[in-house]
Amino acid sequence: MVDHLTQAVGLVFTPWSLLLTFAGVLVGLLVGVLPGLGPLMGIILLLPFAVTLDPIPAMGFLLAIFVGGSCGGSISAILLRIPGTPLAAATLFDGYPMAKKGRAADAIGIAIAASSVGGLFGGLVLIVAAPSLAAFASDFSAPEFAMLAITGLLAIAVISSSSLLKGIMAGCFGLLLATIGTDEFSTGYRFTFDNFNMLNGFHIVSIVVGLFAVSEMIIQLMGPGLTNKPNVPMVRPGFSSLVLTLRHWGNLLRSSAIGTFFGSLPGAGGVISSFTSYAVAKGLAKPDELYGEGAEGGVVATESANNATIGGAMVPSLALGIPGDPTTAVLISVLLILGLFPGPTMFEHSPDIVAGVFVIYLLCNVALLVIGILTTPLFVWVLRVRKVNLIPIVLLMCVLGTFALQSSVFDLFVMFGFGLIGLLFRAANIPLSPIVIGVILGPLLENNMRRTLLISDNGLWIFLDRPVAAALILINIALIGGAIWFNLRTSRP
Amino acid sequence: MDLKQKHAEYLAYAFLLAVVGVVFQQIATSFAEQGIASGGPFDNAAAYPRAVAILIVILIALQLAVSFVARRREGGETLSLTHLACPAAGLAILFAYIWSLNWLGYHIATPSMIAALMILGGSRRIAEILIVPVAASLLMAFAFEVVLKIVLPGGVFKLHILWPF
Repeated sequence: MVDHLTQAVGLVFTPWSLLLTFAGVLVGLLVGVLPGLGPLMGIILLLPFAVTLDPIPAMGFLLAIFVGGSCGGSISAILLRIPGTPLAAATLFDGYPMAKKGRAADAIGIAIAASSVGGLFGGLVLIVAAPSLAAFASDFSAPEFAMLAITGLLAIAVISSSSLLKGIMAGCFGLLLATIGTDEFSTGYRFTFDNFNMLNGFHIVSIVVGLFAVSEMIIQLMGPGLTNKPNVPMVRPGFSSLVLTLRHWGNLLRSSAIGTFFGSLPGAGGVISSFTSYAVAKGLAKPDELYGEGAEGGVVATESANNATIGGAMVPSLALGIPGDPTTAVLISVLLILGLFPGPTMFEHSPDIVAGVFVIYLLCNVALLVIGILTTPLFVWVLRVRKVNLIPIVLLMCVLGTFALQSSVFDLFVMFGFGLIGLLFRAANIPLSPIVIGVILGPLLENNMRRTLLISDNGLWIFLDRPVAAALILINIALIGGAIWFNLRTSRP
Repeated sequence: MDLKQKHAEYLAYAFLLAVVGVVFQQIATSFAEQGIASGGPFDNAAAYPRAVAILIVILIALQLAVSFVARRREGGETLSLTHLACPAAGLAILFAYIWSLNWLGYHIATPSMIAALMILGGSRRIAEILIVPVAASLLMAFAFEVVLKIVLPGGVFKLHILWPF
């Protein structure tokens, strides 16, 4: 891997890749700052552009949006007490009190520096852990991959909703969506209704844009204060914030480790990791560190954790092809569109691309520090944009981004339909993330399940004959049991 | 009339049951005609969607039972139907835009859609309602037509901008 990393430096450090990485960080910060958007929306909106690029610049651009978007929410959390993304919700505990004490520039600077260091930590773990996991998984065959797909889906279904049943229901809906189109085995047409637009199923981008972006914008239309112009003071953080951040090195490393760990668990994600690391940091704080009243350590803990989560989330996504959240699911779909198949085979057949992704991810986090500190005033200005102007433009980007994929109006109607489904499911408190994971994992699950049955002499018992598959069954049972136990405990009066 | 979360849940379950109904209808008709509704793991393209559909039905039944036992159906936030007027109008504008995009063309449909959504959102400044939609649609047209080389619909008037790039 060291050789490939060295070669990848040459692939990554080209003017075009660097430009796209820096642009991606800017876009990410922009979508992170604006409440209601976030890294997933940014990646979705720029995906049509990314798929026209080579794999490394494309992944660099999208990963930079992910990195920038995960950090950008802290700016609005600190200045407005409104987290731009749920990832930054815990940052306002101490970020906003710091701003009230006149230390907004320090708080934003610390948030950016901690995000950058946390991201680098996650990146190093990614470089060490992903190849090892991929090597371990290279011996997997159909039964293991089928079970792995079920585990990934179950994990996100369990964690993304207070109701296990609703989470699995949403995941199953995603699995059904993935069956639309031409069957890979029999080459028969399934659920196509003699419509040639459906021969390859619904485009994943139409589904994701509809479910998340369109439904979110329509919900925001219901909100108050669309025409209000937020009164935000101008702030200019400096590079001295890095020194302030590094003073909390213990907290920084611990929170980054927590973030990376939670990131590697399918479904856990940045919100859980940032709240957990905040709680741990608060519990271990010195008596003079007043958490909740503007402690620098609070901002360090949450921001380093939520950006480190990305590196952790990329480990199972790249090594196994199992996404941990909708954002990594979309990144996997981009790799698929570009002709790469995340999982052990990608590490065997395209190690240069894998190494390039590792290097460019590290670069994204360095770029975040530089761009974030220098361009914060720009994002403070963006925060003053009124929502009434923003919502139509985001909807327009949704439409054009979806149209651009295949120049197809049919995709727009699919997007609109999933916008309606997204609204309905949100109202019914049914989580949307498992639907996307179901669509991504559906082919992996069905194909490997059918291959398993083809090679099996005794039906489904083959899963118990193979140690890894049997272990995954136990994990799945534990996941379901744990979720039922948690639901029973929390539902008691 | 007020809407509760349980109404949305029932609607969502009805939708999922309709999807399940379509799965079984297709297996009985289209799949059977193609000869992929039965057989071994290679030929049987119906077994997997059928199993997932059955699982959905079981999950809905369990969820309804859990809701009934826990009496959760009485709780939840309520939402007045009048609150839904604005998002419904927003959806109608978006649908009209998508429907008319090929017919009216990008350069007529897009500024109209943005302006309509701005007015719906409460914007009342005439200059803003005129400038923002035109500027935004031109900027996006530049990004998609010049940078991404994607031809946007010209409509019946065949309106296209001849970019000097």
